[in-house]
Amino acid sequence: MANIVCSHIDKAYGAITVIKDFNLEIADHEFVVFLGPSGCGKSTLLRMIAGLEEISGGEVSIAGRTVNDLEPRDRGVAMVFQNYALYPHMTIYDNIAFGLKRMKVEKAEIDNRVRAVAGTLGLEPYLARKPTELSGGQQQRVAIARAMIKTPRVFLFDEPLSNLDAKLRNHMRVEIARLHQSLKTTTIYVTHDQLEAMTLADRIVLMKGGAIEQAGTPTEIYQRPRTLFVAGFIGTPNMNFLDVTARNDGEAWLLEGDGLRFRVGRERFDIREGQALTLGVRPSSLSISGNAEGRENILSGLIDLVEFHGDNALVSFRVGGVEIGALVPASNRPKTGMTVAFSVPAESLHAFDRATGLSVLRDRP
Amino acid sequence: MTSRTRLPTIFLAPPLLILAALAFVPTAYAVYISFRNRELSRPDGSFVGLANYIDLFSDRRFVNAVGVSLTWELVTVTLTLLVAVALGILLFEFASARQRAVLTLVFLVPVILPRVSAAFVWKFAFHPLYGIVTYPYKAITGQPLDLLSNPATALMTVALVDVWQWGLFFAVIVLKLLETLPPQPFEAARLDHARPWEIYLYVALPMLKAPLISLTFIKMIESLRAFDLIYVMTRGGPGITTETLDMYAFSQGFIESGRISYASGMAVLMMLATTVIFTVIWKRVKP
Repeated sequence: MANIVCSHIDKAYGAITVIKDFNLEIADHEFVVFLGPSGCGKSTLLRMIAGLEEISGGEVSIAGRTVNDLEPRDRGVAMVFQNYALYPHMTIYDNIAFGLKRMKVEKAEIDNRVRAVAGTLGLEPYLARKPTELSGGQQQRVAIARAMIKTPRVFLFDEPLSNLDAKLRNHMRVEIARLHQSLKTTTIYVTHDQLEAMTLADRIVLMKGGAIEQAGTPTEIYQRPRTLFVAGFIGTPNMNFLDVTARNDGEAWLLEGDGLRFRVGRERFDIREGQALTLGVRPSSLSISGNAEGRENILSGLIDLVEFHGDNALVSFRVGGVEIGALVPASNRPKTGMTVAFSVPAESLHAFDRATGLSVLRDRP
Repeated sequence: MTSRTRLPTIFLAPPLLILAALAFVPTAYAVYISFRNRELSRPDGSFVGLANYIDLFSDRRFVNAVGVSLTWELVTVTLTLLVAVALGILLFEFASARQRAVLTLVFLVPVILPRVSAAFVWKFAFHPLYGIVTYPYKAITGQPLDLLSNPATALMTVALVDVWQWGLFFAVIVLKLLETLPPQPFEAARLDHARPWEIYLYVALPMLKAPLISLTFIKMIESLRAFDLIYVMTRGGPGITTETLDMYAFSQGFIESGRISYASGMAVLMMLATTVIFTVIWKRVKP
C-alpha cells in the first residue's frame, strides 16, 4: 500500500498540451475518483501513473519513490481496463495467473492464490473457460481478479463499468466498494459517471480541460461546488441556472432577474452591489407552494412537461425564457398546463460570479 | 426455371468446363500413362500395371529426391516463418510509421520479382569468382567460395534465396496482423510483469495463431513449387544433392531418358502424398 504524489505533471502530444501543471497527493488507503467529461485528461493522467504514457513534465511518485522512468511492471500498480483487456486465447485461470507466472511465483502458490481470488469474486465455476464464453460482468470480474492477485500497492481503474449495462453496473459498483473496504488498497478510479464517483469516492477530483476544477469529498463537491462547471456537472437532474443581479437591501441581499426576486441573508454570499451572478438551484430544492403573488424566493411558471421517475417526478417549466426543473414527490405532481409556484429556501441557493464562474458562497465559519 | 435464373449458368458453364478440362484431363492422363511403359522416343507403349511404381521404390535416386523435397519443405517453411515473425515484430516494436511504410515497400520487392530473375541475380551473387556475396571471403582468404557447387551448402544456399523472397513478404503480413490487434492486452501484459519478448510470445503471437497457421499452409504449398528456382540455380546439382521430386521427374521424363510413364508415376505419387499429408495436417490444426 502506498501514497501517490503527482507534482507539476504536464502532458503534451507534440504542440498540444492536454495536461498542465497537475498537482495532487493521494493518501495511503484512499479511494480517489477522477471525474470529468470525455477529453478532460483523466484517463491520460491515469495511464501516466500506470506507466503506459510518457510523462512530459513533472514527477509521479508512488510510496515515496519517483516512478517516471520505471516500467509499468516495476511500479507496483495493477490496472483494470474499460474493455477488460483479457488475453482472449487463455483460460480464465491462465488470465488470472499470468502475472504471477511472469513473476516466477511457485506453481503451488499460484494455484492457491488463483483459487482464493476466484473465490472472493465468485469465479470458481468459470476457471476453465475462455473469456469469450463469459458475460461482460464476469469478464470485468476476471480483470479485477487479475489485478487483485498481484497484491499491488495501487489499483487503477479506467472506466471499468462503462461497457456494462445499467443493472450490472450498479452491482459491480457495490462489489468494487466492498472490495476496497476489505483490501484498503490505494485506488484511483476514472469515470465520467457522477453516480459512480459519488458512491465510491473518498475524494473526487473533478477535472476539466486537463486541470483540477475541484477536489473534495463527495459531500463537499455536491454541497459546495467551487465553480459553475462543477455545479452543472454534479447532481442529477442538473442544477438550474438563472441570471441575476445583486442589490443591497440593508439586512439582506436582493438577487433580481427576469421575473424573479430572491432575498438571501448577507452571511451566505460574499458579493457586492450590482454584481452580475448566476444563481444555482438544485431541482430537489424546489417545493410546491401555494400562491406566487408578490412573494420572494419563488419560481413559478406554466408546467410544460412532467417526467415520472417512480418515487419522484421531474417537472419542467419556463421562467423568463430559462427552462427550470423541479423534483417533486410523484404522489404530489402537478399536471401539464397548470401554473404552479415553487418556493426555494434561501439556504439552498448557490451563486456564481458570471464573469469568473467561481462560487461566491462564503466559507463556513 | 426462368431465363433470368438460367443466365448465370449459361455464362459460367463454358469457362468452368474449360477450367475443369485443363485441370482434370492432364491429371487423368498422367495417371493413365503411369500404368504404361510409354517413352518419348517411341510412339507406342503397353500396359505394365504397377511396374513403374514398384521400380520407383527401388530407385535410390528417387528416395534421395524424396529426402531432398522433405528437407526443402521443412527448411524453407520454418525459416520463412521465423524470419517473418522476427522481422515483423522488430518492425512493429521499433519502426516509426514512416519507416514502416518505406520498409514495407522494400520488403515487397523480392516477392514481386519473377523467381527466375531472382534466381539469376542470386546465382551471380554467389558466383565463386565475381559474386558480391562471396567476394569478402575471397578477399580475406584468397580462396574462391563456391557455395552452390558444394554438396554440403548447395541446398541451404538455394533455400536462402527462397526465404529472402518469401520471409520478407510474410514479415510485412505479420506486421499488418500485429497492427490489427487491440492494444489493451499488450498494456495489460506490460502491467502483468511481462517483458517485451514475453508479451509477444505469450500474448501477441497466440492471438495471431489462426492467421499464422494459414501463412504456414500457404508457404508449404508455395515451397512445393520451387522448381524454377532450383532449376536455374543448381539444376539439381552438385550431383543429385538438390534434386527435388519434381526436378527428378522432369529429368526422367524430358532431359535424360524420356521415360514419361516413369516420370508420371512420380508425379502421381507426389500428388497423392501431398493431398493426404495436407488433409491430415489441416484437420489436425483446425480447432
